[in-house]
Amino acid sequence: MPLKKSNPDFILIIVTLGLLAVGLIMVYSASAIWADYKFNDSFFFAKRQILFAGVGILAMFFIMNVDYWTWRTWSKIILIVCFVLLIAVLIPGVGMVRNGSRSWIGVGAFSIQPSEFMKLAMIAFLAKFLSERQKYITSFKSGLLPALSLVFVAFGFIMLQPDLGTGTVMTGTCIVMIFVSGARISHFSWLGLMGVAGFVGLILSAPYRIKRITSFLDPWQDPLGSGFQIIQSLYAIGPGGLFGLGLGQSRQKFFYLPEPQTDFIFAILSEELGFIGGSFVILLFALLLWRGIRISLGAPDLYGSFLAVGIIAMVAIQVMINIGVVTGLMPVTGITLPFLSYGGSSLTLMLMAIGVLLNISRYSRY
Amino acid sequence: MRVSNVTVRKRLAIALIAGLLIFLIIDVRLGYVQFFLGNSLTERAKDSWSRNLPFEPKRGEILDRNGVALATNISAPTIYAVPRQVKDPADTSEKLASILKMDRQKAYQLITSRQSMVKIPEGRKISHEKAKELRALGLKGIYIAEDSKRHYPFGKYLSHVLGFAGIDNQGLMGIELSYDKELKGSKGYVKFYADAKGKRMEKMADDYKAPDDGLDLKLTIDSKIQTIVERELDNAEAAYNPDGIVAIAMDPKTGEILAMSSRPTFDPAKFRDVPQEIYNRNLPVWSTYEPGSTFKIITLAAALEEKKVDLLHDQFYDSGSVEVGGARLHCWKHGGHGSESFLEVVQNSCNPGFIELGERLGKNKLFSYIKNFGFGEKTGIDLQGEGRGILFNLDRVGPVEQATTAFGQGVSVTPIQQVAAVSAAVNGGTLYTPYIAKELTDPKTGEVIMRKTPSAKRKVISEETSKQIRGALESVVAQGTGGKAFVESYRVGGKTGTAQKVKNGRYMEGNYIVSFIGFAPADDPQIVVYTAVDNPKGTVQFGGTVAAPIVGKIMNDSLRAMGVPPRKNQIEKKTNWLDPVMIEIPDLKGMTVKELQTQPFNINLDVAGKGDLVVKQSPPPGIKVKEGSTIRIYLGEKAE
Repeated sequence: MPLKKSNPDFILIIVTLGLLAVGLIMVYSASAIWADYKFNDSFFFAKRQILFAGVGILAMFFIMNVDYWTWRTWSKIILIVCFVLLIAVLIPGVGMVRNGSRSWIGVGAFSIQPSEFMKLAMIAFLAKFLSERQKYITSFKSGLLPALSLVFVAFGFIMLQPDLGTGTVMTGTCIVMIFVSGARISHFSWLGLMGVAGFVGLILSAPYRIKRITSFLDPWQDPLGSGFQIIQSLYAIGPGGLFGLGLGQSRQKFFYLPEPQTDFIFAILSEELGFIGGSFVILLFALLLWRGIRISLGAPDLYGSFLAVGIIAMVAIQVMINIGVVTGLMPVTGITLPFLSYGGSSLTLMLMAIGVLLNISRYSRY
Repeated sequence: MRVSNVTVRKRLAIALIAGLLIFLIIDVRLGYVQFFLGNSLTERAKDSWSRNLPFEPKRGEILDRNGVALATNISAPTIYAVPRQVKDPADTSEKLASILKMDRQKAYQLITSRQSMVKIPEGRKISHEKAKELRALGLKGIYIAEDSKRHYPFGKYLSHVLGFAGIDNQGLMGIELSYDKELKGSKGYVKFYADAKGKRMEKMADDYKAPDDGLDLKLTIDSKIQTIVERELDNAEAAYNPDGIVAIAMDPKTGEILAMSSRPTFDPAKFRDVPQEIYNRNLPVWSTYEPGSTFKIITLAAALEEKKVDLLHDQFYDSGSVEVGGARLHCWKHGGHGSESFLEVVQNSCNPGFIELGERLGKNKLFSYIKNFGFGEKTGIDLQGEGRGILFNLDRVGPVEQATTAFGQGVSVTPIQQVAAVSAAVNGGTLYTPYIAKELTDPKTGEVIMRKTPSAKRKVISEETSKQIRGALESVVAQGTGGKAFVESYRVGGKTGTAQKVKNGRYMEGNYIVSFIGFAPADDPQIVVYTAVDNPKGTVQFGGTVAAPIVGKIMNDSLRAMGVPPRKNQIEKKTNWLDPVMIEIPDLKGMTVKELQTQPFNINLDVAGKGDLVVKQSPPPGIKVKEGSTIRIYLGEKAE
C-alpha cells in the first residue's frame, strides 16, 4: 500500500525501554539471593535477562520496519502452525510438564510455550478477520459467532494443558478486539453471562482452581498451602510503605517468596521502592496503554487499528491480572508482568509485539 | 483507505478509559495494602522472619519449712546434632545408638536430616556417665548441651505430696502440678531474624529476653518430722504387711501440715514403675472410710459443748449391749464395762455410752456438730484429689443411724477431715483449713511473693469444752485404750479407732482399718498425729495395739525435734501387769557403797572404777526408766 512512512511513536519507545530498564534492575535485585544460592552466581538471572532484552530489542527494531500488512498475509498460515503446536504440546513425550501444566515444547533452553505464540497469532488473524468482515460484525451468525468460535477452540486447547492465565489473557484480548470492531452491546451482555457461567464451570471442574479462589479471598485459611504465595507477596508489599525499604533491601526475596524474579517481581518492587515505585510502574503501563490506543486510532486502516488494539489490550490485560494477583485482588493464575518479569520467551515476544505496534505508528495519520 | 467508522473510534475511547480506570483501581489497591494493611502485615511478616531460640528457666525448688530442699534440679546433659557437621553418619549413628540405646536407623535419619540442628529424643537429659562416654568419642557434629532435670533428693519421701515433674520440667502430679504455674517460670529467648533457610539476616537487630526462673515454694512440712513419720511407716509396713498406711501430722493451731505420708508409696523419679493408682491417689486426702471410734471425739465434743454430760459425775451402766430402734447394738467388749463414769466411757471407748450421748444430743444437734467440724465437705487443703466423705442424709437418720454415727459407724470420712476436726476439738475450738504451701519466694531477690497464713473456718466449740476434751483424751492415753501412745512427760492425748471395711455392701470379717489420733502436749497442743493401718497382718486388729504405738513413737521423737519442753504435771500412766513399772532414777552421787545396798529400788548397777564413793552416774537423776534397767555408776575416792 503506497502510504507515506513517518517516524515511529517516540514516546512508546521511551516508555518501553523505561519499563525494560526497571525490569532489568528488579530482576537482578529480586533474583540475586536465589541465583547465588542455586548457581553461586548472583548475576545468573540478570545476565540472561540482559541477553533476552538485547535480542528482544533487536527483534523489536527489526519488526518495526516490517510492514504490518505482512502479518495479514501470513496470519492464516501462522495460525494453523500455532494450532498444530498447540495440539502437539498436549502429547506426552512431545510436550513437557512444568509446574503442573504441559505447556512447553522443544529442548532445554530452546523450548517455547505454543500458547504464548497463539496469543499473538490469534491477534493477527482476528484483526484480519474483523477488518474484512466488519460490516457483518453486528450480525450474530455471520460476524460474531465465527470469530468467537475460533477463539474458544484455541482457548479450549490451551485449557487442556492447562494454562488458565494465558487462556484468559488471549480470550480477554480477543473480546476487546471484537468489542472495538463494533459488535452489538446486547450480544456482549449475553456473552458476558455465558462467559461468567463458563468460567464458573471451569473452576468447578478442577478442584485446585477452587482452592485458588478461596485462598485469594482469605489466604490465611491455608497459609502453608494455597494461600502461601499471596501471603508471602503481601508480606513483601505491606512493609514497603510509601518509599519502600530501599533498592536491594527486600527481605522477602530471602527464600520466603518463591521465584521472586518472575510472576511476583512486582511484590519485590513494591517492597523495595514502595508505593511511589509501584505507582510509577503502573503509570508507565498507563502511558503505554494511552500510546497503544492512540496508535490504533491513527492507524490508516481497520486492520492496523484492530491489530494495534489487540496488542495493547494483551499487554494491559496481562499487567492488570499480574498486579491484581500480586496485590491480592485476584486469584493466583501464573502470568508474567510484561517487560519486568524474568523469562526469555515472554520478554522477546512482548518486545516483538511492541515492534508491530511501532510499525503501525509509522503510518499514523496524526 | 481511511477509518471513518465512528463506532470503532468511540469503542477505542471506551477501552482506553476502562483500561485507565482499572489501572487506577489497582494502584488504589496497592496503596491500601501498603498503608492500611501495612502495619499488621509488617507485624505478621516479622513473626515469619524471626526465629526464637528458647532459654529454659530454672524450675523453682520445693523446700520444707526450714529450707531443706525436697525437690530440686540437677544438671542433665542433652544431646544435639548439627547434621551438616557430621562427618561419617554411618559410624556416628552406630556409636550414638549404642550409647543412647536407640535404634541405629533412627539415629542415622536424625543426623542426616535436612535441619540446621536436631534434638535426639533418646539423648534428652541423660546421665553424666553417658555424656562422658559420648564426649570421649569426640564425634563431629554431636554436641552435649547443658540441661536440667528434676531431682528428689529424698526419693520416696513425701512423694504423694510432692508429685513429680515430666521431662520438660512440667508438673504432672501433686504440688508439682498444683503449683506448676508458679514453679515453672517463663521461657526467655533470643529472637533473631533469619531468611527462609534459617540463615541470619544481619541487617535486623537481635532481641533478647532473659528467662524468669520459677519461684521457690516453701512448704509447711517439717522434714525432721516427715523423716520420723516415714521411718515409722517403714517399720510398720515391715511388721504388719498391711494393705496400706496413712499418716498425717499437723499443727492444730494453724492447720499447717507438718508431715504426710502413706503406703504403698513410690519414687517420683521412677513413678512409671508403679501402677497409676499408687501415684495418683494421695491416700491421706483421697481415701474415705468409716472412722470408727476416733469419731467419738466429735460426739464427746458436741455433748460437752451442749452441756449434756458431766464426765466426772454422771454415771453410766454398760450391760454389753443396748437396744436401739429394734436393733441390738453391742459394745466392743463382751459383757460390757458395767458401771462407769462418763470419763471412763471415753477411756474405755464404750459404745453404749456414746449411744447414750448421741441420744441426749438428738440427731439434729449431733449432725450439726458433725458438719461444723467439717465432715461431709472437703477441707480445702491445697492438694489435689481430695475426698468429701459421706454422711447420712438427715431425713433418713433414724435411731439406729443416729446411734451408729455417735460411735463412728455408718459415716465415711477422710483422714485429713479427722485431723482437722480433732485439731479444732483440742486447740480451743477453732476449725482451720489445712494447708501445705507456706510461701513463694523469688529465688534471686529472696522477696516473698505469696505467704499463706492460717485460715480459720469457724469456731465450733468453746475453749472450756476444748480443755475438757484434752483432759479426757489425755486420760484415754494415760489410763484407757490408748496406752501404747503414752510418751513420758509429754502429756499425749488421743483416741483409738478400729473401723470395719465395707465390701460389696457388707462388713468384711477380720479386715479392719485400725487407727489412732493423738495430740500433745495436752495443756497446749503443738502437734496432732493421725495414723491408720489398713488390714495389718499377724496381729490383733485393734487401733490401740497397732496404731497407737506408731503415733506414740512419732510423738516422742517429733516433740523433741520441735524442741517442745517436757511437762511436769501429767496424768500418770495406769499400769497393768504387762506394762513395765517406771521408776525415777534417784541421785546416787555421793553415796557410799554401803548406803547403796540399802536403797529400796529395783535397778541393776553396772559398777565401774574403784573406791568407796559414787562420783558419777549415767543416766542422771530424775530420768524415768523401766524397773530392772541397768544404770552405770563410777566409784572413786572421796570427792574433793
